[in-house]
Amino acid sequence: MNINKSNPLTLHPLTKWMKKKKWSWFPHQIETFQHVRSGSDVVVFAPTGAGKTLTGFINPIDDLIKSKKYKGLHTLYISPLKSLANDIVRNLEKPIKELDLNISFQVRTGDTTPYKKQKQKQKPPNILITTPESLALLNSYENAKEFFHNLKYIIIDEIHTFLDNKRADLLSLNIERLQTFSPNLQRIGLSATLKNKLDAKRWLCRKKPKIISYENSVLPKIKILESKERIPWSGHMATYSINEIYKEIIKSKLTIIFVNTRAQAEYMFKNLWLINKKKLKIAVHHGSLEKNLRLKVENNLSKGLVDCVVATSSLELGLDYGDVEKIIQVGAPKGINRLLQRVGRSNHNLNTPSKAILVPTNRFEFIEAKAAIEEIKKNNLDKIDLKEGSFDVVAQHIFATACAGQFDINDLYKEIIKAYPYKKLKLNDFKQLINLIQDGGYVLKNYDQFKRIFQLRENKNIYKLVNRRETRKYRMNVGTIIENPMLKIKLGTKTLGNIEEVFIQNLSQGDSFIFAGQILEFQSMKNNLVQVKRSKSLISKIPSYSGGRMPLSTNLANSVRVLLAKSNMWDFYPEQITEWLKRQKNISKIPKKDEYLVEQFPRKKNFYTVIYTFAGWHANQTLGFLLLRGFKEFNYKPLGFVANDYAIVLWSLKEVKEIKTILNLDLLDKHLDNYLEETSIVKRLFRDNAIISCLIERRLPGMEKTGKQVLFSSDLIYTVLKKNEPDHILLKSSYEDAKKNMIDYDRLREILKKIDKKIILKKLTSISPLAVPIILEINRENLSKKETDEYILEDLENEILKEANVLSIN
Amino acid sequence: MYYQLINFGNEEFHAYPDKSLYWKRLNTLIVSDLHIGKSISYAKNKQFLPPYDTKEILNKIFVSLDKIKPSNLIIVGDLLHDVFSTLSLKDQDHKNLSQYMKNTDFIWIKGNHDKNIQIEGFKNFTNYKIDKLLFTHIPIETSLFQICGHYHPKVKISHRGKTIFKTCFIHNEKIFILPSFGILTGGLDIHSKQISDVLGKNNLSIYPVGQDKVYKL
Repeated sequence: MNINKSNPLTLHPLTKWMKKKKWSWFPHQIETFQHVRSGSDVVVFAPTGAGKTLTGFINPIDDLIKSKKYKGLHTLYISPLKSLANDIVRNLEKPIKELDLNISFQVRTGDTTPYKKQKQKQKPPNILITTPESLALLNSYENAKEFFHNLKYIIIDEIHTFLDNKRADLLSLNIERLQTFSPNLQRIGLSATLKNKLDAKRWLCRKKPKIISYENSVLPKIKILESKERIPWSGHMATYSINEIYKEIIKSKLTIIFVNTRAQAEYMFKNLWLINKKKLKIAVHHGSLEKNLRLKVENNLSKGLVDCVVATSSLELGLDYGDVEKIIQVGAPKGINRLLQRVGRSNHNLNTPSKAILVPTNRFEFIEAKAAIEEIKKNNLDKIDLKEGSFDVVAQHIFATACAGQFDINDLYKEIIKAYPYKKLKLNDFKQLINLIQDGGYVLKNYDQFKRIFQLRENKNIYKLVNRRETRKYRMNVGTIIENPMLKIKLGTKTLGNIEEVFIQNLSQGDSFIFAGQILEFQSMKNNLVQVKRSKSLISKIPSYSGGRMPLSTNLANSVRVLLAKSNMWDFYPEQITEWLKRQKNISKIPKKDEYLVEQFPRKKNFYTVIYTFAGWHANQTLGFLLLRGFKEFNYKPLGFVANDYAIVLWSLKEVKEIKTILNLDLLDKHLDNYLEETSIVKRLFRDNAIISCLIERRLPGMEKTGKQVLFSSDLIYTVLKKNEPDHILLKSSYEDAKKNMIDYDRLREILKKIDKKIILKKLTSISPLAVPIILEINRENLSKKETDEYILEDLENEILKEANVLSIN
Repeated sequence: MYYQLINFGNEEFHAYPDKSLYWKRLNTLIVSDLHIGKSISYAKNKQFLPPYDTKEILNKIFVSLDKIKPSNLIIVGDLLHDVFSTLSLKDQDHKNLSQYMKNTDFIWIKGNHDKNIQIEGFKNFTNYKIDKLLFTHIPIETSLFQICGHYHPKVKISHRGKTIFKTCFIHNEKIFILPSFGILTGGLDIHSKQISDVLGKNNLSIYPVGQDKVYKL
């Protein structure tokens, strides 16, 4: 677009710079400038390559130039990643230096040295680029109010990543704090395209809220890998396609291969390396690798020094890697937004389409990939469900507030409920959280003499920290991201990264495993360091990382159902997929988009029930457990179940006759508590809650006490609390977390509400083609942790007795 | 309640899943490392564990006393976590204790945690000898058989691809170590240096404590 006289940006200092570069302003940039200038809080939706970073800074830079030698902090820029923060600094540096503007700017993250941080506190820059955690820390300092009282703008980058998690809660509370310090503060959100833009606006904006949107008309070119090999029935490793993937890498200048888990990343990397005849430079990148190794890969990537990087979501966000020509997504896309985000990593130029190839690792994933491509053509994005604020984050915030100085609880409560996630926070719950920080908040008032914060005698509404030493404890626990207990891996003296302690515990000396793309032999574990050496072993384990399994989005699931039912499309699929679906149609049925197919058949000595819900893994896992209970009640003698994103299979000794009677909403209401009780879901979430709310201290990898011990003691606390004080606020909080995150309660409820009228029951004589993938997944045990422990002990004892020729009497 | 029979020092003992040990011949119940009041002691460092441990430990001990009705209760050290812990013993707790003391002798062998603390009605010892058996918190140089606590032993069990940790009773020919009877107490791997230095690495008898049963490895 040309700059004409009506463009309000004509006189903007940056225009000169843009002209020199032969760039011009985008319409959304002009719009943003005008709305912000007239006092609006805005959220700007624009695709990558549309100058998002600059958009946020147009008003701050204009203001700063006009006000000349502005003293103190003027603009705060919040980025979701440390690496992204550094990238922003580089982008900002160019115009400011080249135009010789008198504006100071600095970055502040966990990687900033204490010396620099101290200097920043004494003499803040005009623009500070930071992360939500660092902002929370800044707000916990005694001089926070002075530091921020002149703040004019807060820019939240990639706001779409902040809407549905605890980090969003933390950030929202800290934004409200800034608003209290500086009432004139204006908010600018920058986001990738979003389905529910209104929600993002509600979350962020207060003053004359405004949505500014710029849609990209160039659609990405996405196709499914055409393979001559047989697509496997089940599995997630894409071994079949490795040669074809390699050919695709050769064809492009620079390729990023995205996979869904860290284990897949290591596996893919290893397999590519084995067939790397052309000696291509291939690297691996995931969140567990040591920072320096990651930075090296990122650096090589931006300089074009590698041919291919195998990555997890760790490379998904923001950073501009210039010459990435092609994206290969291995495994199911799981959601439209996520796929678009990944695909957008290639060709940062707005006018050329991004290129991507999808590699399904099994047959259902083929349908899913196809569906995702269809939805992207229609620009039908996933809705991001805003979450209600979590209690533990409020507790942490209360502690932070106390670290900054004495506070009035009524003022704090009023401030907190201004934050969108906490609009509905009840005063009573808030008071319980105050008590939680004060002394654990137990009904039994045992700790009166040991409080962490106390009420002033002259004014009971004012609370104060007992001891400044406590601030250190807050600073150790700040943040909402809790990793599983991790151990550092050392090769010689070099640290390779972190690995889950659970994985290491299952290794014996001499076992080999893959990490950071190398085959390593486990030598010893000393002082919480895992010592390894290089290995030439061909058999190696792949570290598993628990958690992080993303369920299929509702949006994409619906699309998969629609596509599956469209039999006129089948002829366009690879023959093996077409055959698979046709045989299913002949033998059983292909469910219509709103039908729930249930298949039952005998197999070996058991009776099988397969239910195709397309509800995503979390909801299906929950439903599987509930059905197990239901089957027990009807005395069908169920033995186990397995769930994936698409279906659940249960097997039982007796024929399940009343499936329609069992499968409804009552099932959920009746057995849900039981489910949460028996599995360790709530217990695991309780650990996160206890750390985030600062009830127990967070341990970082390499610290004296291992993470395992934290897990251990939080388990003990959970057990004691559950027994003695089941209404404790942290138990309530963990339970809510479980409902929201782990069991997909709302989604399951929606399905069960209407399922009974839409069940299509097929009694078969043997397994159907559609059921094969999930039947193949049956290999894990379905016992709770407690049962497993007893089973292991029992079994081991019997073995030893047999060995000793003493037969066990029982 | 099921028990596991353990032979040690030419005597027979019953190991219970509540982590107590019973010496039938002398009608004596043995427990160790209760760490009563650990929560309150943590609270002084502003670590607010649920304050129910004292109540639960006492209940556990009372249940056991009611069932077994022993003439002696030997506590092999660390009955209390520290001097603050006495704060968690309420009047009612003291009353209950003295009720039980009418029928049972409470023999309190002092551990490193509770050396200088007194509670009414308990008989205090640094160690206690019965026949060829010496009860002591931490093993000492002696030719006697010793029954001790202190280490909170747990054993790592890897079986069929799974690994679990379990609290355990453990002994070699001369030294027997009890598990911790406490609620909020952690454990120490039996292969750690501290325990190996005491028991050695060979000829160990290990008894992991399960839900309702004590196993034998």
